[in-house]
Amino acid sequence: MSLVPAAGAEGPALTALRAEVRRFLADQLDAGAFVPHVDTWLTGWDVAFTRALADRGWLGMVIPKEYGGQGRTFLERFVVTEELLAAGAPVAAHWIAERQIGPSLLKYGTEEQKHAFLPGISRGEIFFGIGMSEPDSGSDLASVRTRAERVDGGWRLTGTKVWTSGAHHADAFFALARSAPLDPARRHDGLSQFIVDLHAPEVHIRPIVSMGGDHHFNEVHLDGVFIPDDRVLGTVGDGWRQVTSELGYERSGPERFLSTYRLLAAAASAMGEGRLPHDAGLGRHVARLAVLRHMSFAVSMALEEHAEADTAAALVKVLGTIGEGDIADYVDTLTGGGLPDDEELTRLLRAAVLQRPGFTLRGGTNEVLRGVVARGLGLR
Amino acid sequence: MAPPELVTRSAADPDVVALLTDVFGRYREERPSRAAAVNLDRDLWRRLDDLGLTRLTAPESSGGSGASWLEAAALLSIAAGAAAPVPLAEHDVLGAWLLDVAGLPHDGALRTVCRPDAEGVAAGVPWGRCAAAVVALWQEEPGRWRVADVPATRLAVEDRCNVAGEPCDTVRFDRADLAAGVAVPPAVAEEFHLRGALARTAQVVGGLERAVEVVLAHAGERTQFGRPIGRFQAVQHLVADVAAETALARAATDAAVARAVVSGWADPATLFAVGVAKSCVGHASSVVVRGAHQVVGAIGTTLEHELHTLTRPILARRGEFGSVREWDETLTRLAASAGRDGLWTLVTTGRAAEEASA
Repeated sequence: MSLVPAAGAEGPALTALRAEVRRFLADQLDAGAFVPHVDTWLTGWDVAFTRALADRGWLGMVIPKEYGGQGRTFLERFVVTEELLAAGAPVAAHWIAERQIGPSLLKYGTEEQKHAFLPGISRGEIFFGIGMSEPDSGSDLASVRTRAERVDGGWRLTGTKVWTSGAHHADAFFALARSAPLDPARRHDGLSQFIVDLHAPEVHIRPIVSMGGDHHFNEVHLDGVFIPDDRVLGTVGDGWRQVTSELGYERSGPERFLSTYRLLAAAASAMGEGRLPHDAGLGRHVARLAVLRHMSFAVSMALEEHAEADTAAALVKVLGTIGEGDIADYVDTLTGGGLPDDEELTRLLRAAVLQRPGFTLRGGTNEVLRGVVARGLGLR
Repeated sequence: MAPPELVTRSAADPDVVALLTDVFGRYREERPSRAAAVNLDRDLWRRLDDLGLTRLTAPESSGGSGASWLEAAALLSIAAGAAAPVPLAEHDVLGAWLLDVAGLPHDGALRTVCRPDAEGVAAGVPWGRCAAAVVALWQEEPGRWRVADVPATRLAVEDRCNVAGEPCDTVRFDRADLAAGVAVPPAVAEEFHLRGALARTAQVVGGLERAVEVVLAHAGERTQFGRPIGRFQAVQHLVADVAAETALARAATDAAVARAVVSGWADPATLFAVGVAKSCVGHASSVVVRGAHQVVGAIGTTLEHELHTLTRPILARRGEFGSVREWDETLTRLAASAGRDGLWTLVTTGRAAEEASA
């Protein structure tokens, strides 16, 4: 019994790609293009940086060339995203599109939809969000109440989506809505996915301000916005299967264990320079991080080979998100809330401590994911 | 399958793994009744000897089976999953290897290993009383090491046991026997420590994996409040955490074994990978031992139950060849020395930045 597939070691082409991305990031840092931070895949929206990545061919990586992408593998994308996150680079603008919108469009989109969106995604010109959660639907996603009514030539969507990161900057999102009345016996039926233009006048976006005062999340109110038939994603009524079949991509990538990496690195420096006492906890966290990389890479290998990896992805996300949160807490307990002579560490720590509660909530709470693991183990 | 320029794979020979699974699966079914004190199972040892499994990694030229550490780690894990009371790690990957590097002959009789102190006393020698001879790695004076193969007849053995109830004896040597050993370079002592640490890691993870199976079986069979306890969400979450930590421990061990095979023992990346494995496996053991006993309940704490044949050796072995804390300290030193700018290179390659670019 093995819950997580065996990992391979990175081959020479990936190592070379890694070095290339590292050089690019060093140049960007030298040029002052960004300041390394924590949790940048949620908080670091920087269109100029995203376009610089597009120029290097590191956007739309798994999108085929015929749709304006790079036609590369999930493993190459893994290496690029891992390097970007480890550098604390601002990658939020393209994150959702790169991670899940692109792959979903490739799998379920029409030819016209692929041509309409994928080239713009790959150039860093079209930005996407994801519209799943609602005020009364968090972990219980099948309970979404956003309504899609059949009208002439399309659908009319009414309802409210929440926790939509970047909706105030984004051009469109995928909304999961109920297109047929709820049948309590088959509650996963009757859901559909729609591509919603966030610039439409019937779409109202209000900020949800996080506890530290930052604005990343939004409430998106859909006030009868018209969705033409050609902006239905995939098959009407098949939304649940479409959404859940893509969870492997969403759940186990490097962003699930690297959100606080820059803080760990800052703590390593502080310890090396004697500004923090030598403490075995640092080695322990470094060890877990090193192994989580192998496990996450193994899931990427499985995705590349179209193997089933839902349980493995859930398991890696549980371990990874706890680990990245524990790093924040570890440095907090070790330093007493920061170091007076270390502005960088203190800044990273404050942000990490405030972002931490979200790590084990977003993309499926750890409680739901442990249930997924238990199902994989045959207990449910 | 992804091409090799993207991914290189290391896996144990599937035929060997199938053989091991069969041999030790049958042993677990047919094994003698459990006792608090564990003795060497000489029948099993003879059977393993006949199958060439007691000298799995030794070169064929010196009577071994010529397998790699991939197969050795599989053997150690699978044997530990069957709680097989045989000194596979001590005899083969440590003892036979030491004899080989020292150029000493191996007659095939059962060996264990130890590092006696300056006075010639070694405490905590696994299977000490069972060995026909003990291979000693002895530091004669700082930086000067010798390997001596000392027959049991020339040893004073005081019986002791570890928390698993296994022989873990105090062995007294005649210093003259140690001084007559073959001089070896200090790198041998470093490699010995790494080999021992990795062997223990492979054994512990084998125990963890079997513990997960025991837990799953119990959670599916044991009924309370009218349903199997595995139907309760609280139990499911406990089991999920046990399984997740075990998967992490397995990934850490596989990565370390692959690194040792690909890069050799002298590469700093192997030290890092073994340290990572020791740390992750050690901490995972805390979660798994605690969680497994919680799920299996009071029956799991009794002598008649299988669970303690796994959890006791897990606890005994995770601290050998460096405690969990000592390896955390080693990794801390490497990480602190790498600092902000070198840490990512350390994490991704196991080497310091200047070593990685060399």
